[in-house]
Amino acid sequence: MGKMDKMAAADLIMGLFLIVFGGIAIRTSLNMKVYKTFLDAPGFFPFILGIIFIFLGSVMTFSSFRRKGFEQIKQSIKNFQIIYLFSNIKFKRVMILIALMVIYIFIFIDRLNFIIATALYLFFTLYYLKSANIIKIIFISIITSYLISAFFTSFFRIPLP
Amino acid sequence: MMFDSFLQQVNLFFHAFTAQLYLTNILIIAFATLMGIIIGAIPGLTATMALALLINLSYGMQFDLAISFLLGVYVGAIMGGCYSAIMINIPGTPAAAATALDGFPLAKRGEGGLAIGAGVIASFVGMLISIACLIFITPFIYKIALKFGQWEYFLLAVFGVMICGNLSTGKDPVKGWVVGFLGFFTAMIGLDKVYAYPRFTLGLLQLKGGISLIPALIGVFGISEILIVLEEEIPYKILGKITKIIPSWKTIYSLIPTAIRSGIIGVGIGAVPGAGEDVAAWVAYDVGKRSSKQGEKFGTGCLEGVAAAETANNACIGGAMIPLLTLAIPGSPPAAMFLAAIWLHGVQPGPMLPIEHPGFLYEVAISLLIATFFMLILGLIIAKPIASILKIRREILMPIVLPLTVIGAYAGGVRIFDIKVTFFFGILGYILRKLDYPMAPLVLGIILGPLADISFRQALMQSRGSLIPLLGRPVGIVLLVAIAWIAYSGFRRTIEYTRKHTQKDTGMIQEG
Repeated sequence: MGKMDKMAAADLIMGLFLIVFGGIAIRTSLNMKVYKTFLDAPGFFPFILGIIFIFLGSVMTFSSFRRKGFEQIKQSIKNFQIIYLFSNIKFKRVMILIALMVIYIFIFIDRLNFIIATALYLFFTLYYLKSANIIKIIFISIITSYLISAFFTSFFRIPLP
Repeated sequence: MMFDSFLQQVNLFFHAFTAQLYLTNILIIAFATLMGIIIGAIPGLTATMALALLINLSYGMQFDLAISFLLGVYVGAIMGGCYSAIMINIPGTPAAAATALDGFPLAKRGEGGLAIGAGVIASFVGMLISIACLIFITPFIYKIALKFGQWEYFLLAVFGVMICGNLSTGKDPVKGWVVGFLGFFTAMIGLDKVYAYPRFTLGLLQLKGGISLIPALIGVFGISEILIVLEEEIPYKILGKITKIIPSWKTIYSLIPTAIRSGIIGVGIGAVPGAGEDVAAWVAYDVGKRSSKQGEKFGTGCLEGVAAAETANNACIGGAMIPLLTLAIPGSPPAAMFLAAIWLHGVQPGPMLPIEHPGFLYEVAISLLIATFFMLILGLIIAKPIASILKIRREILMPIVLPLTVIGAYAGGVRIFDIKVTFFFGILGYILRKLDYPMAPLVLGIILGPLADISFRQALMQSRGSLIPLLGRPVGIVLLVAIAWIAYSGFRRTIEYTRKHTQKDTGMIQEG
């Protein structure tokens, strides 16, 4: 199965998502306050966008349906391809990188000093990517986070998180 | 009257020329161009990424220095992409993808240095053509733009997203339009500009201010790029040594017609909202291949191919500045980054710009010109040392980019929430890119969304809901016809794409 064929299933899901999203956008915009007339109301333009999303979503759904997108989804469920996805090396790599970013942005930056937060993030990410040997990784993590911090605060007087 | 106006423009040009020629400014431009070249040369760090990362440094600068700095980065980064495209067959920026087709075969033959030299000189010529067009065309567009009413602005915003969606997706334009309108929707989040009514804020106080442009851009182009690059390990090695760099005068002379033609193509495509440097390079390469006497040699290691692509992608910069300065519509993703930066410094581009900041156009042109000369000099000088920069492992470099994107997102508004916005848009950008959705229409949609919203509502209010007044507006009619044509041709492409794949699938089933 080629790349294009796989896209048909993704396009079908996206098309259906757009139809639902457009419906929600229309409903939410109709509930927004009308001051003078609806043409001038805050909900008017989002309402139009909702209609556009439903239209484009329908085009995508129809197109992907013709390209056997539905059959592909059925096939994927039947063959447990979603389980294969989780064992895919690229997928795992991206998920771990995203998890490291989440820890850095949502936990470390809020709670730790920027230099420490950045050094920890760099250490774990470089270690996971096997970018260098452990001594080099420790060295790169500490020096880089210190240099970034010093460069922006002292040289350019830019606030850090 | 016309002569007076011309003299006034000449006066403004020379005023800008003298105002820009001071040591700090020149040094800033030299530094920025060098940084741009280095970042642009590193595979995975695009020109937009270069601006996203270095925009931090411009926050603390005076306005004119910040502008010079960002333009230097922009010019350097677009040219810098040619080094890695030629030496390792991985374009440093998407704009240099067409360069690799002939540059890499040249490098394999041991003529990588000459290819780089031709690329740098071609970029220089492209920049000169684009600066000349910027200076001479922009004042006319200003005059036309002054006559724009609410209808024209609304249609222009829709036209921008539609044409960008059409040009940035090869097979299925609907995908480009979907992300463009998602960009419009993103711009709706926050307080309504007319009644200050909260829209789609999900009850979050931070969302009432809307989605800040720079964090969203940094996420879409920065974080998604980090994930795309680190997703897989692509080993690469540098082939051959860089020996002779500057081509002979005879070779340079033979490339002039290609450079002029590609330069004009580059400016034209650059002026189309959101089309970008990569589209310009591909189109110029294709036109070059068709019109050259050596067309059959394109793709086998032909200097003309390198010159066509490199002239066009740099010429696109000046072209992209024309709609940016006159209508506040960026011609390419890096130009969108530049627009966000000048908004941050309090300058509002558009038809009122020559009245509010009379010399601004010429200041931009002079900064571009200085950056162009530095690009030529530095580009040729650092051709040999750049090989060692290309050896930096991406597994070390890309994780270091994340803290820089975090600072870029935070420093503009000093809000932790903006870092979270960057992360969200990074993940969104990554998913959409994996599903073959282009990013340029999304960014253009976020930029043009408020304009489309306000101008459409005001136009309808003025006409009491009637579309008839639009029929009396020539520019409006032209835009409307253009939108209808883009929609028609786009849907036809989608239908053809669907038909082609339906037949292919049916064939596969029958064969199976």
